[in-house]
Amino acid sequence: MDGGKVTPGRTMALLAGASVLRLAMFTLLPGLPDLLAGRVEISTPVTSFKRLQEGLFLYNHNVSPYDGGVYHQAPLLLPLFSLLPSFAAFPLATYMLYIGADLLSARALLRIAGSGEAGESALFASPRREKRASGLVVAALFLFNPFTIASCVGRSTGVFTTCAILHAIARAVSGAPLGAMVALSFAAYLSMYPLLLLPPLLLLCYDRQLPKRATRSLTQFATTHLAVAAGVLAALFWMSFLVAGSWEFLPSTYGVQLTLSDLAPNVGLWWYFFVEMFDSFRSFFLAVFWLHLSCYVGGLTVRLRRQPLAVLTLLLGIFAVFKPYPSISDTSLFLALVPLYRHVVPLMRYTFVVAAVIMYATFLGPAFYHLWIYAGSGNANFFYAITLVWGLGQSLLVCDLTFAVLRDEWEVERPEMVGKEIRQI
Amino acid sequence: MHRLFSFLLLALLSLNSASASSEYHEQLVLQPLPLSALLASFNFRSITALSAFEAHNFRFFPRSLGQILQHADTRELHLRFTLGRWDAESWGARPWDGAREGGTGVELWAWLEAETDEEADQKWLTLTNALSGLFCASLNFIDATRTTRPVMSFQPEGDHPNSTVNNMHLLYGVLPHEVVCTENLTPFLKLLPCKSKAGIATLLDGHKLFDASWQSMAIDVRPVCPDGEECRLEIEQTIDMVLDIERSKRPRDNPIPRPSPGHELKCDTSKPYHADDTCFPADYSTSQDWSLSQLFGKTIERPCPLTDPGVPPVCLNVPDSRTVFISHGVVEKKNPDGMSRCFDIPPEVDFNLSLPGPEQKEGEEGNVQIEVTSDLVKSKTPLLYAERSFTGHGQERGGVQTMLRNPSPDNEVEFIYMESLPWFMRIYLHTMEARIEGSHGHNSSNSLIEEVYYRPALDRARGTQLEVRMRIPPASTVFLTYDFEKSILRYTEYPPDANRGFDVAAAVITILNSDKSSPRFAAYNLRTTSLLCSLPTPDFSMPYNVIIFTSTAIALAFGGMFNILVRRFVAADEGPESNLKAAGQRLKGRLAALFERLRNKRTGIVAEKQPAPAPQ
Repeated sequence: MDGGKVTPGRTMALLAGASVLRLAMFTLLPGLPDLLAGRVEISTPVTSFKRLQEGLFLYNHNVSPYDGGVYHQAPLLLPLFSLLPSFAAFPLATYMLYIGADLLSARALLRIAGSGEAGESALFASPRREKRASGLVVAALFLFNPFTIASCVGRSTGVFTTCAILHAIARAVSGAPLGAMVALSFAAYLSMYPLLLLPPLLLLCYDRQLPKRATRSLTQFATTHLAVAAGVLAALFWMSFLVAGSWEFLPSTYGVQLTLSDLAPNVGLWWYFFVEMFDSFRSFFLAVFWLHLSCYVGGLTVRLRRQPLAVLTLLLGIFAVFKPYPSISDTSLFLALVPLYRHVVPLMRYTFVVAAVIMYATFLGPAFYHLWIYAGSGNANFFYAITLVWGLGQSLLVCDLTFAVLRDEWEVERPEMVGKEIRQI
Repeated sequence: MHRLFSFLLLALLSLNSASASSEYHEQLVLQPLPLSALLASFNFRSITALSAFEAHNFRFFPRSLGQILQHADTRELHLRFTLGRWDAESWGARPWDGAREGGTGVELWAWLEAETDEEADQKWLTLTNALSGLFCASLNFIDATRTTRPVMSFQPEGDHPNSTVNNMHLLYGVLPHEVVCTENLTPFLKLLPCKSKAGIATLLDGHKLFDASWQSMAIDVRPVCPDGEECRLEIEQTIDMVLDIERSKRPRDNPIPRPSPGHELKCDTSKPYHADDTCFPADYSTSQDWSLSQLFGKTIERPCPLTDPGVPPVCLNVPDSRTVFISHGVVEKKNPDGMSRCFDIPPEVDFNLSLPGPEQKEGEEGNVQIEVTSDLVKSKTPLLYAERSFTGHGQERGGVQTMLRNPSPDNEVEFIYMESLPWFMRIYLHTMEARIEGSHGHNSSNSLIEEVYYRPALDRARGTQLEVRMRIPPASTVFLTYDFEKSILRYTEYPPDANRGFDVAAAVITILNSDKSSPRFAAYNLRTTSLLCSLPTPDFSMPYNVIIFTSTAIALAFGGMFNILVRRFVAADEGPESNLKAAGQRLKGRLAALFERLRNKRTGIVAEKQPAPAPQ
């Protein structure tokens, strides 16, 4: 894999190529950004760019955007986008912001891949680590992934969450736990669900501390850094309070994710379930769905204690399927981290099935949505069926990756079992 | 013009009889419109002294309504039941300058006296529920999602003392889906002093009223305080209807429309291709001859004895040149403008009126239409034409486009455009744009839109309220557009006919009075038609299936993860047998032993047997 060696020149070329591609899509195909921004697979109620513009318009005209049912995104996005030149008059500034976010994510990925954490963590060294993918390949797979490009061109604000999460991981693997906590707080502030990544991220920070200022006690380490994260979040909320003028942004941003009051179709499993749910059981199933989403955190963190980065990857995969308003931008984040585990791919059992199912859903999803909404020749079940397939395909990938990572771990104890048939009891 | 005259007359009368604390009068104005239509405007007005009203001394004021108003602290009330569409292009300006009509369905707005907003909401709930019972309409469905508090569009019509004005809350509710019908007319007529037993109200019959091309029933209650006099409470009940003369004249015993025979068709003989077997329907049907008994199926049975004799009960707006036949004993009074005449009906006389068709000058074939038009009173041109429609396709998103045309060649028109939209239409205000036809710049918006009041919708809690003050230059057309997104609802929130769509209330356009000295706030009111918005629908038949499928998908993912996480890895040939396999082997061994024993019993040989083959 000498061809994938990371040199500054190659990195620059990769980043430049990715930004030119995006810029070309923004400028040369004038209808494309709006077309993508209107797709339900890209824009969910909590990430849609059109809703952001509406919130911005109301904010600039002194109407509280949270006193309405359209804007459900974080308050600090409003002053950020107000500082940019108006989108209607000068869209290039917005495009550059989104392209910049993608490039920053790619740089964070380069750093994560470069640290070798995926193959060799503090407590565990994979026997296959020599085969791991180079940072350039990982970053290129992220930057040229159609899902990433579509999210960027569709200007979903999920792009910023992706960037913050990748930065949190990058800071953690490079031994800067405080930076990691700050970045994760930003991600949690923007989309709430990254808060669930805190336990594995803390462990990752703990494992990757720089030896000279390492804290030995895990309890002490966790307490300090939890306090830092809480402090940053509190500061963000306080700034939001100043921006929004009241606390009503809390129910309108996080409350909507908790109660799913906006049932706009998306690629997840929640919307149709709660459209069809009987009213008396709605709250119960909301609780069950949230419990289900968060129950993986403990199990994976404990079972894969020796590979916290793997836990983060798997959790992001699970969130991309089971969170309330998933979009393909969440999938693109998961798929960005999967190539880090290239060395365990030979241990996976269903790669072909997973690839086929994901491709199938990718192509049939928009077609079935069209049949339901525009052609009228299909009903809601068509699109629902595709979201089921999409969810199943991704959860199969997550399961398979978990299996591969665990088997890789097991083969350290049983080196003679490499390549043999095994079973689980 | 005639109406103005009768108002003047009324004003004079009221000055003369200022001492009378209560009075009642009624009037029917008939105005033939182009295209064989006839506008019939019924107006009933009762007045009671406010002090008598507060002492529960109702005279002509309907007690049932009065008690509701007192109970809900309602200071001013406006209620509208409307069906159909006023065709402004052919019929011209609306009756009463649009002040006595509502959008399709039921519309209600009232000023309630309350200390706080919550108290006002409570009283509004009381009022809508009580009126719902009184008028047999679904007014109780005007909940928080259908109630708005307009800021610019409405002003009280009555005179309110300063002490109450500060505590008055305006609430506005609209039910565009409500179908107005006979059950609403009956309670409406019951409020009249003469009910439908005498006077012009005898003409009102559900079969005719709701068969009209357009009809509007209105109730307005307002206090009036003339200078230096005692305040009085006025209730005005109005019914306006546009009858299709052809259709109304159809005999009752043969109401099914059938194609008329060829020789009865009215053809435009001026067309070059006109022949015995080719007919171009005449643009103007010449059937402008009718009589009251033909149109309404009956005559006016004697005037209402309670009505003020100074106000003529029936007026007809046709030029003096037309001949009118009336019942014996009725006095015809022509108005000095030469365009209308009124009829005084003596007591105990039944009134019928018959208007023969205009005389046609034979031989001037090409000028039929012009000749006939001069036999009608030309209606005024409205101050503004408005058409609203949806743009876009699909059930995901759409747009609303309102076309506003100012026909006046030299006056600009300033108005307030108000929309109250259901919450499931999520409108994007940043896409709102007003442009003059022919221009494509963004600059035009700024000059046309002067002020916007916007209250965004909250999911399941309240609807969108949008009020826009605009100014349109003379002789120009403006397009006001905005985008919206359609939400998908919970399946229990859809009505039984979900695929029919959801009615969106008419936009209310209030044209401001440019004459600031005039006490009237609005120079003209109009409503657009209501819209039908189709939302994406789920499959209503399969809640169980969806719950099962989704739960299965989640169980598969969770079960798979759980299995991988908690179970140990071993080589394929290591570890204990799997439970199922071992159980199978055990069962096989037992069956073999049982079988062996049975065979031994049958043969009677008890022999030593080898144990059943060991499981592999």
